[in-house]
Amino acid sequence: MAGALDPSAGDVVSAGNGDGHRIGWVPQRPAQYARLTPRENLDLFARLESVSDPVATTDSFIRILELPDDGRLTTHLSAGNQQRLNLAIALIGRPEVLLLDEPTASLDPRQRRRLWEVATQVREREGAVVFATQNLEEVEHFAGRVVVLLDGALVFDGSLEEFSNSPEADVFA
Amino acid sequence: MRNIRLLLVKDLRVLARSPALLAALVVYPLVFAALVGLVVRYASDRPRVAFVDIDHLPETLTVGGQRFNVPRVIGQVKGSVDLVQMPEAEANHQLSTGGVVAEIVVPSGFASKLRGMVESPRLVLRTTQGGLSGRVEQQTQALVYELNRRLQTAYIKANLQYVNLILNGGKGTFLGDEFDVLGLSGAAQALDEIQRTSSDPAVVARAAELSNFVRQARLALGASDESLHATANPIELQIDRKAGRTWLLSAQLQAYALGLTLAFICVLLAAAALAAERDENVIGRLARGSVRLRELVAVKVLLAALVAIALGFVIALVFGVLAEVFGVAGGEPWERLPLLVVGLALAGAAFGAFGALIGALAKEARTAVLVAFLAALPLVLLGLVPEAAARVAWWAAHAFPFRHSVDFFQAALYDTDPWGALGRQAAWLLGLGLAFGAAARLSVRRLLS
Repeated sequence: MAGALDPSAGDVVSAGNGDGHRIGWVPQRPAQYARLTPRENLDLFARLESVSDPVATTDSFIRILELPDDGRLTTHLSAGNQQRLNLAIALIGRPEVLLLDEPTASLDPRQRRRLWEVATQVREREGAVVFATQNLEEVEHFAGRVVVLLDGALVFDGSLEEFSNSPEADVFA
Repeated sequence: MRNIRLLLVKDLRVLARSPALLAALVVYPLVFAALVGLVVRYASDRPRVAFVDIDHLPETLTVGGQRFNVPRVIGQVKGSVDLVQMPEAEANHQLSTGGVVAEIVVPSGFASKLRGMVESPRLVLRTTQGGLSGRVEQQTQALVYELNRRLQTAYIKANLQYVNLILNGGKGTFLGDEFDVLGLSGAAQALDEIQRTSSDPAVVARAAELSNFVRQARLALGASDESLHATANPIELQIDRKAGRTWLLSAQLQAYALGLTLAFICVLLAAAALAAERDENVIGRLARGSVRLRELVAVKVLLAALVAIALGFVIALVFGVLAEVFGVAGGEPWERLPLLVVGLALAGAAFGAFGALIGALAKEARTAVLVAFLAALPLVLLGLVPEAAARVAWWAAHAFPFRHSVDFFQAALYDTDPWGALGRQAAWLLGLGLAFGAAARLSVRRLLS
């Protein structure tokens, strides 16, 4: 879905214009340059995404996601800060679709709440958030549609309400 | 181009944040080039050769009236080989086990033949059939040449004594027999006496004819000193060791230092830099849309080219400053540095493209560095093989940029008419760079898996 891998089979179809949607991707393992500072990472990806004002955009994401801006290299940041930078880079191109792969695995409760606040903004501006998780609480709070994969096979596809009443919910039990 | 510029600046920034790596980039190739040069030089210059003296040469040997201190003479002429005296059995054993690469045998009767000056004595050279035997033969020939050169002075001196005896007369010895010689001078005086005292016109005329011959013979033999020397040395080589660049600063060493530097640094750098995009998990984010994979390969090739220019320039400056400080004749050809920069860029890009291919195939930065080193080392050594030594290896070396880059640097810095060589080597480097770059582009998708 992120376009990072060639599909082994099938297609990914999105209802956008001919060019498709802008997609932001938050992989489970942070995808950023360890020997750059958070600001340098954000500035680089903002320019690669052709953001109109990369400096101002970088400033705003540092502020919104409370990222360290003291010149420390990313490799010296805590796991939580690295994951928030990972999210900031995914959001910097103002994506219409946000893909999150186990985004909160290394975050404390406060950082989790912060991440979902920012992610939810994508949905509020009529975008979509697709996230993979093993945390039932996150599914109940943020999902509108649930797809369950078991051993690589699709075993459920329905609304949150249908999921709550289905035996597949036991997957998370 | 904008994406390439952004990622290139990023790579340079990351590189600049590793001062230890930067220092290693400069120091390592200089040390490496010097060490390789020294090893090659000393490994090839003084092979160990056994010296077997069956004739038991005396300490002092008199040839043509000239005395030779045998150990001193051997010591003076053995500069090109490490000559070790040992018994014949020991020499044969060491030759068979590789302890020595050859043995020189002085057979029985050598000294007496040398003293006799009638028959040339023979030295026997025994070698293995290994790769060094040809070179040892050459060096032994050089050693024998050097001995002959010293002995010929004694031989010429002895021959000139005989000529002098014929000219001026006196007592002589040959093979132990003593004899009296009238000499041409005495003959001339006798003939003059005959012409003055004889009343027979036929005898006077005959004496005048002989007197004329004696005069011509005296003139001809009088010039025998120079002609004997000229016969012994039709061409004399004068060696002036003070002129020219010292070996350490020679054009070849400088070209090889540059070639070796780029071969290792650029290949390793490009391989590691490309594989690191996967290690940092960024390649998927880049390839998702904002950066094309061919742009990513181009960035690594350009990074290698830029580093090559910077390092090559530093190395050329170091050589140049040393040449100026030590007053080396010829000095550094400063006006040729712009040509060198072109070569550095082309060679760096070609090596970088090869490194990018390795990075794409290896996938992980650590593996890429190891594979790049393991690949670059034999390919560089292949480029050091002379054409005459192994023609197949020499041709195979053309498929790697090392040989072409060294030839380009030598032509750029020191050829009086470099354009032909520069054009050929530039075309090779460009072609190899494009070929390796295309292969890297085809392989780089592996990093996404």
